Amino acid sequence: MRRLGCMVAALVATASSPVAAQNIVKIGQIEAQTGANAIYGYMSSHGLALAVNEVNKAGGFKVGDKTYTIELIASDTRGDPKEASIQLKRMLETEGVKFVFGPFLSNVFVTVEPYAKQFNGKFLMMGGATRIHDFIGTPEHDFLIRTWNWDAGPKGFGNLMVDRLIKETGVKKIAMLFQNDQGGKVLVDIYAPLFKQKGIETQLELFEPGTKDFSAVLAKLAAGKPDVLFPSYSDAYLYDIVRQSTEGGYFRKFFLVRGSLGPGLKNKDEIDDYFVYVPKYFEQAEKTDPKVAKFIADYKAFYRRDFPYDQAPLCSSSCYDHLFMLIEAMKKASSVDDVARIRKELLSMTYDGLWKIRFDEKGEEIFNFDVVRMKRGGQLSVTSVDVE
Amino acid sequence: MKALLWVPFIVVPAFIQSNFILSIFIFSFILAIAAVSFNLIFGFTGQLSMFHSAAFGIAAYVTSLTASIFHVSFWLALFPAIGLTVFISLVIGSICFNFQLRAFYFAVITLAFSELARLVILNWNNITNGTLGLMVLDKPFVWIPGAGLMKIDGMFGWYFFSLAALIFTVAVCSLVLRSWIGRCFAAIRLNEDLAQTLGIDTFRYKLLSFTLANTLAAISGSLYAFYTGYIEPNYLSINQSLDIISMVLLGGRSSIVGPIAGAFMLTGLPHMIELSAEARAILYGGVLIATILILPQGLIGTLASWRRAA
Amino acid sequence: MLQLLVGQTLNGVIVGTLYGIIALGVTLTFGITGIVNFALGEFMMIGAYVTWYLFDVVGLPFPVAIWPAIAAAAACGFAADQLLFRFTRNNLINGLLVSIGLISIIEAAALLLWTTTPKDMGYVLSGAVRLGEVSIPKMKLVVFALLAAVMFLTYAALSRTWIGKAAYAFSQNPEAAMLMGVRTDILQSTVVVYSTALAGFGGALYATLYSLEPSMGGLYILKGVEAAILGGIGSLIGSLAGGIILGVTEAVGSIYLPGAFRDAYGLIFVVAILLYRPSGLFGAER
Repeated sequence: MRRLGCMVAALVATASSPVAAQNIVKIGQIEAQTGANAIYGYMSSHGLALAVNEVNKAGGFKVGDKTYTIELIASDTRGDPKEASIQLKRMLETEGVKFVFGPFLSNVFVTVEPYAKQFNGKFLMMGGATRIHDFIGTPEHDFLIRTWNWDAGPKGFGNLMVDRLIKETGVKKIAMLFQNDQGGKVLVDIYAPLFKQKGIETQLELFEPGTKDFSAVLAKLAAGKPDVLFPSYSDAYLYDIVRQSTEGGYFRKFFLVRGSLGPGLKNKDEIDDYFVYVPKYFEQAEKTDPKVAKFIADYKAFYRRDFPYDQAPLCSSSCYDHLFMLIEAMKKASSVDDVARIRKELLSMTYDGLWKIRFDEKGEEIFNFDVVRMKRGGQLSVTSVDVE
Repeated sequence: MKALLWVPFIVVPAFIQSNFILSIFIFSFILAIAAVSFNLIFGFTGQLSMFHSAAFGIAAYVTSLTASIFHVSFWLALFPAIGLTVFISLVIGSICFNFQLRAFYFAVITLAFSELARLVILNWNNITNGTLGLMVLDKPFVWIPGAGLMKIDGMFGWYFFSLAALIFTVAVCSLVLRSWIGRCFAAIRLNEDLAQTLGIDTFRYKLLSFTLANTLAAISGSLYAFYTGYIEPNYLSINQSLDIISMVLLGGRSSIVGPIAGAFMLTGLPHMIELSAEARAILYGGVLIATILILPQGLIGTLASWRRAA
Repeated sequence: MLQLLVGQTLNGVIVGTLYGIIALGVTLTFGITGIVNFALGEFMMIGAYVTWYLFDVVGLPFPVAIWPAIAAAAACGFAADQLLFRFTRNNLINGLLVSIGLISIIEAAALLLWTTTPKDMGYVLSGAVRLGEVSIPKMKLVVFALLAAVMFLTYAALSRTWIGKAAYAFSQNPEAAMLMGVRTDILQSTVVVYSTALAGFGGALYATLYSLEPSMGGLYILKGVEAAILGGIGSLIGSLAGGIILGVTEAVGSIYLPGAFRDAYGLIFVVAILLYRPSGLFGAER
C-alpha cells in the first residue's frame, strides 16, 4: 500500500525534491532477496532489517541534539538489472535516500553505475559486488564503498590464506578448477599470479556453468599429479566437485576461498584435508563471542526461525555491523546528511562489532576472518586471522 | 479514429515528471515493440516462434558493437543489425518452412537456434565479453527541424524517442496486416492446408512474417541496449522469449495493440505490488495458464468482445 | 588418453539413461495425448527433493524413501492432468504454453519450500569399481541398471499387456480404439501420470549422484526432448537409444572440444534430424 501511495504522490508532484522528513533518516537497500542468486542478498537483507529494528526499538540514535529513527527502504531486485535500475531511481529521486546498501551482484552494479555516477557526492553506495573493485578510487566515484574484502594485495585475505596453506601443508603444486564466467575469471586473475609469486606450480581448468559431472576435468587435472585441488566458488558446484573428486580417487585435499564448509562435512569420511576461508565460523563464534551469541538470539527471536548458519558468513557484507558503523560515522561527523564528511569518518574509523571492520584509503573493506581446517573424520580446527 | 488513442501517451510527460514512472513507460514502450512484432508471427500467422528473443539480443549486440568499434551513429549501426537479422531469419525460415514441418517442430527448431545463438554470444569472449556483458555508452542522435541535432539522453528524450518507435512499429504492422499480405497470414493461421490449395504460397508468406517480426524485434533490442546502457547474453534467453509471449497472451493476440497493454502490465505491475521472486513466478505461471485456458483472447480481446456484446 | 575416452564413454552412457527416462515420458505423452509436457523436468525435481528429504532428513533407508517420492511426483502429475492437461489434449501450442506456466509455479513452490541453497544427499552406496585406470562409482552402475530395467519393463508391458495394446491402438487410430471399447480418457490420464512417475523415479536416482537445486529440471527436459526427437518420437527403444547417443556425444565431445559447446551437440542433432529424418533414428517412416 505504501508503494501505491508513493506512486500517487509521484503522479501529482512536479520536480521531485526530497522532503526533509523530520528526524527520520532513510536507508535504502538494493539486493536480490529472492530468485536464483538470492544467496548473496538474503543475509544482508535480513541482517540490515534486524539492525534497523534494534535501533528504532531503542528509541533511535542521537546526532547532535536531535534523535533520529531509521526508515528502511529495502527493494528486492530479484537479480534483475532492469528492476534494480528502476528501484534505484525511485530511491534517489522520489525518496531522497542518501545511503544505499548493496548491490552484491556485479551485473546489477554495472547496470546502475552510470546512473549512480550522476549522484556522485550526493549519496553513498555501500555494496559487496566484485566489480565495484574496478571503480573504487577512480575519479567521480566517491560515492562507492565496497563492503567486502579483496583477495589480493598485502592485506588481501587470499594472500593470507595462501601463505597459511603453504606453511601448514607445504604444498608444491595446486590444481585450480573454476567456473568459466566472470567470478571464475576474477579468481584466475587474482590467484594465478599469487601462486606463481610464491613459487607454487599451478594447473588450471575451467568448467561451464551448469556442469554436474566433473569427471572429465578432474581426470585431466589429476593427470598432472597436483597436491591440492582449489575448486570454484559456489556450493552448488562444490558439493558435486568434492564428492566426485573423492569417489574417483582424483583428489582428497581441498583449498577454498569461496563456498562453505558444507561440502567438506558431507564427505568428511572421504577427504584427507579441507582448508576453507569462512568470514566467520558461526557455530564456534556463538560459543566464544557474546556479541555473536546475542546476534543469533536476536535473529531467532525476530524472524522466528532457525538461524541459517550456512548463510550467516555473508553477513560480513552490507549487513548488521554496517548500519551501526554508519551511525557511528554520522555521530562523529555531527550530521546525518553531510555525505562527504560522513564518508571521511567511515574511512578513518575501525568498528568492532561481529567483525572488526575498517576501510582502506580507497574505500575497500578489510575485516578479520576465520580459517577452518577439517581432517578426515570431521575433526575441525578454527583459526581466527586478524588483519591489521 | 485509432490515432486518437496515442494522444494520452503524448501528453503524459506534461503531467508526470517522476523519472521512476517515466522509466517504466519507456521500458514498456520498447518491450511493446517486441511484443507487437511477435504477435505478427504468432497471433496473426499462427506460428509459435521461439527465436524472438534471439533476434532481440543479436541486434542489441550488433548495434552496440558496431557503434562502439567503428564509431558510427546509432542509425548507421542499426543497418548491419537489421541486415544480419534479415539474413538469419531467411536462413532459419527457409530451413523450417521448406520442410513442411508441423508447428511444434517449428517451435523446437527456433528454440534450438535461439539457444545456439545464445551459446555463441556467451562464449565469444573476445568480442562479446561473455557473461560480463558490455556497457553501451553511446547515445542516439536525432535531427529535429528547428532544434538541430539532439542527443537522446535523459527521460524526456527517451520517452518520445521510444514512443515514436512504437508508433512506427504499429503503423508498419497495421499497413501489412490490412493489406492482402495480412489476409494471407490469416489464411495460413486458420487452415494452412486449405490456404495452400487456394494457391497461396504459404512458404513465402510464413517467411515474410517471420522475417518482418524478427526485424522489428531487432529494433526493439537495439533501443533496449542503448537505453539501459548494458547488454548481456541473457537478452537471448528462453525467459526473455517467454516474457514476450506472456505479454502477447495477456494483452490479447487478436489485435495489433493488445500486446502493448500486456507489455505495460508485465513491466509496471511488479512495481505497484511488492512481490517476492517466488510469488511473482507463481503469479506469472498462473496468468499464463489462465490466459490459455480461460481467457484465450487476453485482456484487451475479452474487453473488446464484451463491448461488442453489450 | 585412452582411459579418459573409455571413462567418459561409460559416463556418457549412464547420464544418457537419465536423459532416456525423461525422453520415454516425453514420447509416451506425445503419442497418447498429443502434447509435449515440458514440465516433466519439474516432476523429476519433485521426486529428487522428496527422496532427499526422506533419506537425509527423516532417515528412511533409500529403497523405502524412493516410493513416496515417486508417489508424490505421480500425485502432482495427476493433479496437473485433471486441472490443466485435460483441456489441452492434442493441442500442441496450448499444451506447451500451459506446461511452461506450470514450470514457473512448481519451481517457485520448490524455492519457497527448500530455498536455493543446494541440497546434497548423503551416500547411498559408496565406493567405486575399478576397471584398469578407470573408476566408476558403484551407485552410478546401480542407477544405470535400474533405469534400463524400468525402460525395458515399460516396453515389455506396452507390447504384451492389454493396456499396452490399447495404447498402441489408440496412438494409431483414436476413433477406432474408442469404438473398440478403449476408455480413452482413462488411458490418457494414466499415461500422463505414468510419465510423471517415470520422471520422479529418474529424479530419485539423480539425487543419489548429484546435488539438488530447484532449477535442475530445466536442463533435463530439454535433453529429454532432444533425445526423444533423436530416437524418434513414438519409439520407446528410441528414447533409450537417443538418450545414450546424446549422453555419449556430449561426454566424448567435451574431451576434444571446449566444454562451452556441450549443450550445442543436442541442439545440432535436433535440427539435423528434424530436417533429414523427422521420424528419428528408430521411428517408423510415415
